[in-house]
Amino acid sequence: MSRWLAHCIVVLVFVALIAAALTRIDSPWNWQGVWAYRAKFLQGFGVTLAVSAAALVASTVIGGTAALMLGSRHVLVEAVARVYVELIRGTPLLVQLLIGFYVVASAVGIQNRYVVGVLLLALFSGAYMAEIFRGGLAAIPQTQRDAARAIGLTPWQSLRLVILPQAVRLVLPAVAGQFVSLVKDSSLLSVIAVSEFTLAAQEVNSFTYSTLESYLPLAAGYLAITLPLSALSRWLERRFRYET
Amino acid sequence: MRGLAVHTLVAIAAALAWAAAAVAAPPLRVGMELSYPPFEMTDPQGRPTGVSVRLAEAIGRHLGRDVVIENIAFDGLIPALKTGRIDCIISSMTATPERSRTIAFSAPYLKTGLALLVGAKSPVRSAADLDVPGRTVAVKKGTTGHQYASTTLTRARLLVLDKESAAVLEVVQGKADAFIYDSLSVYQNHKRHPDTTRPLLQPFREETWAVGLRLQDATLRQQVDAFLEAFRADGGFGRLGDEFLAEEKAFFAARGIPFYF
Repeated sequence: MSRWLAHCIVVLVFVALIAAALTRIDSPWNWQGVWAYRAKFLQGFGVTLAVSAAALVASTVIGGTAALMLGSRHVLVEAVARVYVELIRGTPLLVQLLIGFYVVASAVGIQNRYVVGVLLLALFSGAYMAEIFRGGLAAIPQTQRDAARAIGLTPWQSLRLVILPQAVRLVLPAVAGQFVSLVKDSSLLSVIAVSEFTLAAQEVNSFTYSTLESYLPLAAGYLAITLPLSALSRWLERRFRYET
Repeated sequence: MRGLAVHTLVAIAAALAWAAAAVAAPPLRVGMELSYPPFEMTDPQGRPTGVSVRLAEAIGRHLGRDVVIENIAFDGLIPALKTGRIDCIISSMTATPERSRTIAFSAPYLKTGLALLVGAKSPVRSAADLDVPGRTVAVKKGTTGHQYASTTLTRARLLVLDKESAAVLEVVQGKADAFIYDSLSVYQNHKRHPDTTRPLLQPFREETWAVGLRLQDATLRQQVDAFLEAFRADGGFGRLGDEFLAEEKAFFAARGIPFYF
């Protein structure tokens, strides 16, 4: 049996199970009521897509920088990165968003809640990325670095040509997982009134009182973003596969 | 074998008796969001208390049923009622035509209206001043203020927030021009932030609060209506008002702003 066929069968079984569960709820469907708000859904989906994409790029940069800082021999540099990672990973994103927006951003004078939202989301995700990257770099044996130096590569060349190509392949699955988390975590931005996808569904729910009709499109919309991300990660993994 | 059959019969009989007892007096499950003092709140020990909790308990006594308070976010109350998780809503909920399409309401028990909490420096003088491009309006998700803003204030930018406190903060920090909520909340929030906010208490839209019930649950609706009438005649609302809202009642009465049971 081909892999595709197996996937299709499993998906169909899941859909059938969910459909069976839904038929047991005897509340009448109200798709028209929700359809009237389709522009709101689309707008929210667009905001989630844009915010996630921006935070994804920013968190990769932040995570990469923090990972290099974590490996630094300067005590102060290492300490800054370590405190950042532990502070972010040890506190809820909800608290970071509320304090970050209403206290820190207000004090600094950034008024745009979308900019603040992207920054806070990137800082949050960047802490996890830093640990993923650090793990990937640490997994490359010391002999590789020694060999690179032996054939006369500079430290930068060694990082770019020897260490990174191997590390990228190692960290890809974890990074893809972190990207998927980031997309879903963006739903929390609604607490600082960023009108993203989840808030749109919640608003439609509160106007139409049609909970399932509001949230089923939400689930489908998130899958439409996260499934391509997973597919991309698998494709990249194949591309970076080397004989070892 | 006979012994086993007898045992099974006894067990079934016991289960039936237990079920019958449960059917005889099922507790009344009342849904409310416990974040709206002094109507729905928790005491320092975390127990539900407030005007609505007392009201629920009084209904329970009237019907001879135990009362279970279910703490549910405001915009989740109607779905919870519709799916049968709770039997009624007592959560300072306004009886609106939109909500009446999906749930039933008892007779109203309190009259109030939508008011504005505006920033101290904001030039806004009325709700009409908000329907202008460039104005920003904060609302709490799922409230009548949210409905009003999304249908009437179409030119203003809308900030939809989960928590009342966050919406107030938006006004206090000058990020929003106004927060639309009921007169009592606007008054209380202004007292907490007297230097940064200004209350416009005269309601631009009057509202009444009522108990939310399932459309098909006519029996409970009649019982609640009968209770509300008896409770009012007995002076129960007056006592609740004096206990929880003495200062506010006097303030609102002195200014002729509708807020009464």
